[in-house]
Amino acid sequence: MWKKLWKNIFAWFDERLGLNDLYKATLDRPEPKGNWWNTLGSASLFLFVLQGLTGIFLTVYYTPSPDHAYDSIQYIMTGVEFGWLIRGIHHWGASLMVMVVFIHMLRVFVTASYKYPRELTWLIGVGLLLVTLGMGFTGYLLPWNQKAFWATTVGTAIAGSVPWVGEFILKALRGGTDLNALTLSRFFSAHIWILPVMLAGLIGVHLFLIIKHGESAFPEKED
Amino acid sequence: MKEEQKQTIHEKYQRALQKGERFWPDSIYKDLVVSFGIFIVLVLMAAFVGVPGEPKADPSDSSYVPKPEWYFLFLFKFLALYGQIPGIGKIEWIATALIPGLALLLLFVLPLTDKNPFRHYTRRTLALTVMGVFVVSVIALTMIANVPTATDENGRMTLSTWLQFLAGLILPGLAYLVLIALTPLARKWGVAARKAQVWSATVASVGMLALGLVVMLTAPPAAASEVEVAGTVGEKMSLGMDLYSVYCTECHGVDGDVTVITGVEGLEGKVVSPISSSDVMYTLTDETLANIIAYGQQGLGMPPFGRAYGGELSPSEIDYIVTYIRYTWDDRAEIPADAVLTSIPELAEGEVPSYEIHISALVKRYCVSCHRAGKDNNNYLMTSYDEMLTTGDNSPVMVAGDAESLNLVLINGTEVTDPKTGNVIRAMPPNKLLDQKYIDMLTLWVLNGMPNTAVEAQALSAPTPTP
Repeated sequence: MWKKLWKNIFAWFDERLGLNDLYKATLDRPEPKGNWWNTLGSASLFLFVLQGLTGIFLTVYYTPSPDHAYDSIQYIMTGVEFGWLIRGIHHWGASLMVMVVFIHMLRVFVTASYKYPRELTWLIGVGLLLVTLGMGFTGYLLPWNQKAFWATTVGTAIAGSVPWVGEFILKALRGGTDLNALTLSRFFSAHIWILPVMLAGLIGVHLFLIIKHGESAFPEKED
Repeated sequence: MKEEQKQTIHEKYQRALQKGERFWPDSIYKDLVVSFGIFIVLVLMAAFVGVPGEPKADPSDSSYVPKPEWYFLFLFKFLALYGQIPGIGKIEWIATALIPGLALLLLFVLPLTDKNPFRHYTRRTLALTVMGVFVVSVIALTMIANVPTATDENGRMTLSTWLQFLAGLILPGLAYLVLIALTPLARKWGVAARKAQVWSATVASVGMLALGLVVMLTAPPAAASEVEVAGTVGEKMSLGMDLYSVYCTECHGVDGDVTVITGVEGLEGKVVSPISSSDVMYTLTDETLANIIAYGQQGLGMPPFGRAYGGELSPSEIDYIVTYIRYTWDDRAEIPADAVLTSIPELAEGEVPSYEIHISALVKRYCVSCHRAGKDNNNYLMTSYDEMLTTGDNSPVMVAGDAESLNLVLINGTEVTDPKTGNVIRAMPPNKLLDQKYIDMLTLWVLNGMPNTAVEAQALSAPTPTP
């Protein structure tokens, strides 16, 4: 009886949501013979989700102001149950994500998977790598400690050395001539809204393209 | 690309699918295994490595050597090396904007510029060798990123800098040139040119890594600046107490209850508010206290202590002092259970105190604020064992076994007139005598010959009676 009930419920939803079609389109796909190197893309996606989740937890306690940023993170590390774990995962996850995304790019390069018909997938992938680096750069400032402050001072100064528009970029990044409270809130909003939304959007297109063209086959001798 | 070429690619792909697997469950299982592995690694890193502590940002501390996140180190090093090139090295934007910009552009348009129809690695020698050299140069630059570039007194680059130059700029640059130059020849020479490309990329890579290693291993170890960073309230209080003892005790006393400053050059007789009183504790917030310590109350005579205003303390250190003050004197503040203050160890029955365990802690808490270099203290310094015994205008102030030693007389509250100069030497500490138990501790120490280490003191102590 339960089986029948379940069947009916599923049928009801399937009729309205197209679950079976969805299943066929996204999961039940034929693929060329896989390779462990092919897991790096999904590993990047996993890290993105993990960073998103831990990041959301961190914003519960984090305060993006020069007076309180440092203390709020100390509180997360010592005062919040398992705060150290969440922050630790977020901290190391950032490094690992950059590494995994980069190695994923190298894999695609070595197997020449960027060639016809997957040129756009590559283009968007490079965008993803860039935004990931942007996440690393903006996230580095948020603890508002010595390392963060001075690295960002130098980093933004480098961006400011671009001819013609450097001055503008520098002021846009810092929100003034020196690093100040505005810099922190700008980096914070970039780190938790602007860049993640860009990442999510680009990931969506990237995944669509992968499903559309299928995972590339490992090249053989005559390829 | 011609239509028939596209057709072949699609047909080949369809054949690969025939021989292939299903995404679900064949390949998603591998994905899950890898993702789970990553998660475990991250949890282990968080638990056993943790996040290294760093002091609070201090915009006034321009001596701080900036260090970016590790994955930007190679760019950082590239800029530093580029800056050493005579002439062109001064044009910063070439290295900061032009070269990275071009590299990125190349990466973006790679599928459009790479006209090579083949995918197997044996037929993509140029692309793979160039990328290989790039990746190895990134690794080499990251390896040497912590070794500074330097010039000698004549403005010439040091040997290490030359080697860094070779590893980080010249070798990869030459390799790119050779690889590209060999490409048109590939048509004429065929396999020979390809082999030459592989060989030059390999030689350049091995060279970069080897030089990078040499630079890394021969570099003098960087002086690790030991900055203590407190995490918990307890750690902050401990560090804060030590800092308070050095910087604040002089005027405000150990317990913060001094109302008239005595014995401080230039501030003699100044009236100060007792900072441990509820008047102060209930009305000044942590932020106000931190501001007062940083800027001082210069109109009232309190000097600035914050580095931003010419003092010696960083924002983190001021924060520790405020935490110590708040949790010690504010009766509304509840000391967290984990806060253990390093107090002066008590003496057991018959135990002889040692400098190492007891006296250093006592002196640090009550005396060092004035008896350190740069203070008005008759040149008597107390920051180490030797200083305590040998310095001072009236040296020796302590003689082993002599209960009439100058120091013991002073801490018992007796003023002494210097027989040579006729100056009055005040009783110590000037604003409030020590607890009797600490006076006894110092006396006992002097009478027993002032042992330095705990082992020496142990030898002098009465044997513990065993039943």
